[in-house]
Amino acid sequence: MTPDELKDAVAGKLGDKMSLLDTGRMVPMFEISAANLLTVAESLRDDAALKFDYFCNLGAVDKTERFEAVYSVASIVHKHRLDFKVILDHDHPEIDSVQEIWPAANWYEREMWELFGINIRNHHNLTRFLLPDDWDQGNPMRRDWDAPDFEKLPEL
Amino acid sequence: MGLIKKVPVYAERIPGGSLVLTTLETVLHQGQAKSLWYLLFGTACCAIELMCTGASRYDFDRLGMIFRASPRQADLIIAAGTITKKMAPRLRRLYDQMAEPRYVIAMGGCTIKGGPFYYDSYAVEKGIDHIVPVDIYIPGCPPRPESLLEGCIHLQEKIKKQKLLDWQEK
Repeated sequence: MTPDELKDAVAGKLGDKMSLLDTGRMVPMFEISAANLLTVAESLRDDAALKFDYFCNLGAVDKTERFEAVYSVASIVHKHRLDFKVILDHDHPEIDSVQEIWPAANWYEREMWELFGINIRNHHNLTRFLLPDDWDQGNPMRRDWDAPDFEKLPEL
Repeated sequence: MGLIKKVPVYAERIPGGSLVLTTLETVLHQGQAKSLWYLLFGTACCAIELMCTGASRYDFDRLGMIFRASPRQADLIIAAGTITKKMAPRLRRLYDQMAEPRYVIAMGGCTIKGGPFYYDSYAVEKGIDHIVPVDIYIPGCPPRPESLLEGCIHLQEKIKKQKLLDWQEK
């Protein structure tokens, strides 16, 4: 499916839950609400025409007043891909785990939990693996993070 | 006395005699300096230069330096590459597993003071001298093989100058 066909197909099937964002990129980007994440993800995977069977990436973005979790999924069968993002509250970021739908999300969600402090609901193994074993300085990828030996790049 | 002509630095001729006299210290340190086996410890791009130095073009072997994959058999760690805070305890453990006398070369900017990761990094250790005692610092990002060779020659000079029991006091 070409990106334009994919946009139409998604709009026809999940138009009420996914809204297309105008990013100018070739890969279409959608926004969904955190409450709909699991149903949308399941439809994306199971729908015969969409069949997103491959989980490419999951990243988080700290936008100071909110967090964004950005998912990238692709279809090996139909050779198309799409991104979607979920907006999260900055004070109590929390999101459902999609590892029941795409098992590959497991480690990405652990990384997001560890570096951004975004809590993952119903994750099977939410344990540390990237930061040092004795780390006690919080979530270093947050914009407001600071530590005693952390040096900001001086203004040039 | 052909031998004496070959090794004038550490052997003295006894007039009329056929003996070579030298000190245990000299022989030991010559031997140590010329058989520095180094631990394979490449963590970033400096390791590429280290590999290049070990290959035939620069021929590390002519200094008597052969890489070892086990700290038990190594005399020297060439810390080639960025040492993160996660990696730091592992480096210390490898250093502790080496038999004395043991030496450390800090190769490249990252191991000296964090290098390009000094600013805006939560993960990189700002200098490996917080973790292990360093004998030779080789600046560069990464240093060329010539720099590494010169650093190793300086280490050999340092070893030759040391006293017999120096390393026990470390």
